[in-house]
Amino acid sequence: MSLPPDEHPPGLVLDARLHLLDRQVLDVDGVPVCTVDDLEVHGVDGSDLPDGTQTAFVTSLLSGAVLATRVFGGRPPSSRWHRIRWTHVADVGTTVALGVRGDTLDVTWTERWVRDRVIGRLPGGRHDPG
Amino acid sequence: MILGDLLDAPVRGPADDPLGYVVDVRLVLDGPLDGTLAAPRLHGLLVSPRTGTSFLGYERTGVRSPALVARWLRWRHRGTFLVRWSDVEAVAPGAVRLREGYRRFSPDLPGRPSQRPDLHRAT
Amino acid sequence: MKRLLGVALGILTAIGGFLDIGDLVTNAVVGSRFGLSLAWVVVVGVIGICLFASMSGRVAAVSGRATFEIIRERLGPRAAGANLTASFLINLLTLTAEVGGIALALQLASSVEPRLWIPVAAFALWLVVWRTKFSTMENVTGLVGLTLVVFAVAVFLLGPDWSELADQALSPTVPAAEGHAVYWYYAIALFGAAMTPYEVFFFSSGAVEEKWTVKDLAQSRLNVLVGFPFGGVLSVAIAACAAIVFLPAGIEVSSLSQIVLPVALAGGKLALAVVIVGIVAATFGAALETSLSSGYTLAQFMGWSWGKFRRPAQAARFHLTMIVCILVAGAVLMTSVDPIKITEFSVVFSAIALPLTYLPILLVANDPEYMGEHVNGKVTNALALVYLVIIVTASVAAIPLMIATGAGS
Repeated sequence: MSLPPDEHPPGLVLDARLHLLDRQVLDVDGVPVCTVDDLEVHGVDGSDLPDGTQTAFVTSLLSGAVLATRVFGGRPPSSRWHRIRWTHVADVGTTVALGVRGDTLDVTWTERWVRDRVIGRLPGGRHDPG
Repeated sequence: MILGDLLDAPVRGPADDPLGYVVDVRLVLDGPLDGTLAAPRLHGLLVSPRTGTSFLGYERTGVRSPALVARWLRWRHRGTFLVRWSDVEAVAPGAVRLREGYRRFSPDLPGRPSQRPDLHRAT
Repeated sequence: MKRLLGVALGILTAIGGFLDIGDLVTNAVVGSRFGLSLAWVVVVGVIGICLFASMSGRVAAVSGRATFEIIRERLGPRAAGANLTASFLINLLTLTAEVGGIALALQLASSVEPRLWIPVAAFALWLVVWRTKFSTMENVTGLVGLTLVVFAVAVFLLGPDWSELADQALSPTVPAAEGHAVYWYYAIALFGAAMTPYEVFFFSSGAVEEKWTVKDLAQSRLNVLVGFPFGGVLSVAIAACAAIVFLPAGIEVSSLSQIVLPVALAGGKLALAVVIVGIVAATFGAALETSLSSGYTLAQFMGWSWGKFRRPAQAARFHLTMIVCILVAGAVLMTSVDPIKITEFSVVFSAIALPLTYLPILLVANDPEYMGEHVNGKVTNALALVYLVIIVTASVAAIPLMIATGAGS
């Protein structure tokens, strides 16, 4: 049995798992920000549980607690999702490139916390290795 | 909804018949412009009748080497098909149901030559 | 001229950096019990690590993506997470063994108890990870590690029965005193010592650290294809030293002082001093590589900012990971566990975990999305598939053999 080919849609075609999930996210300066742990989807009317009766779009990349649930199952409360709005995504290749600096994003709070509380306080922590 | 809700979810037909598992979600960047890029629209679900595990893209891309690994992974995913999002009737947590009269399409990424000779063999 | 120097430096550091505590201990133990009858495993292991390292180096240079980013992207969070857990723990075990090796070598030099050296070694390790430039670190430990050539010199000075050694190496048989299971258990240990996964994490991340591009591929291939086989020759020399001195006497090597004894017998105090310097450099170099690998693997899996080319404050979680790992390794050693025993386990567990890192690299090295025209050729893939079979077989056989032989005892 052979299946009919799908129509060729006009836009870039991405398979989520193949091309987006678990890819490295880099900020506008090429600094690693996080990996794409999951994607958030909304219906065109803003519904957060759309089905096939309405068009649905990816609205954000998610990172953080959703990783644990992709590994162990379950679902974190949406208050624990760290979002990067799709608006900030500039390019999708072997990495996902953002158009903003990672420091300004909510997802990098642990990096900033470790930097400000631990690493930045140790002598030499803010200097180039030499 | 998050994609994690869809991935690996069992898929059932309109008569509650088990069809397989969602192995991937096909997106098309043809939505309204959202920042630099168009918003990715949910185009369809890739359903494998055998296994919920993703197999590294071998089932859809043109990579054919190393031959032994490629062949084995393709074989594991034989029978994979694409259903359009508009054919999805209901998404309950951990379960997807297709509507009456849903259609199956080839899972190949469009715009590339067929990578699935096993599916396109004349019968 | 400068280019030539660069090429020579690359090859020399690859030779000097090849050996670590795992190679030292496993080769000496094997030499003392099996002579050179397992030397063929070193050959198999060296070809394997050449193949594996050059693939991961090529992937890193062409795509800019290091090994664990690729493992995560290909295997997904669940399988990659399991892989991370295993790799991270084995890497920590190896780090512990290397720091223990530094302390034991310093004890040989100073007669000061290793437990006093452990905090010193750990602090020095952190200081280098924290402040030194990547290339300086690599070149210094690699070049000083070259002094381990004295093992090869010692083989000649000991004046062995060459035909006997050649016979052991070329027509290997299991010695009468040892069982077949033990023989194969040590074959896997030697294989794991030559092909430790951390070398690949480190090698591919190092390619990103040093900002390799396609232009550097020839140099990196040369470093691997010339440097590692010479490293393998040193491995066999260590086994030969032990085979000459201990095998006839029926003594089983179980301490670092025994590993260096043949060198001292052959070359006296001077040679002993040289070999101790070499062991300190080799274990210190490997301790640096494993510390960094702990940071690399976790940061790459989680998508954190990483790399020694950044200021520590710009790769904060990466540096914190390494600090914690160095502290844990030091703390474990302070309980007086025997670093030699830790080493013996770490090489076998390395062999067990090897398929987890090998397969994703092999797949991505074939993926034109990452590699463009630099995908694996037919010959590389044929060889890579042969090694896939070897690696999976060794991995599957390791645990039953470990249980059956009581870990080789």
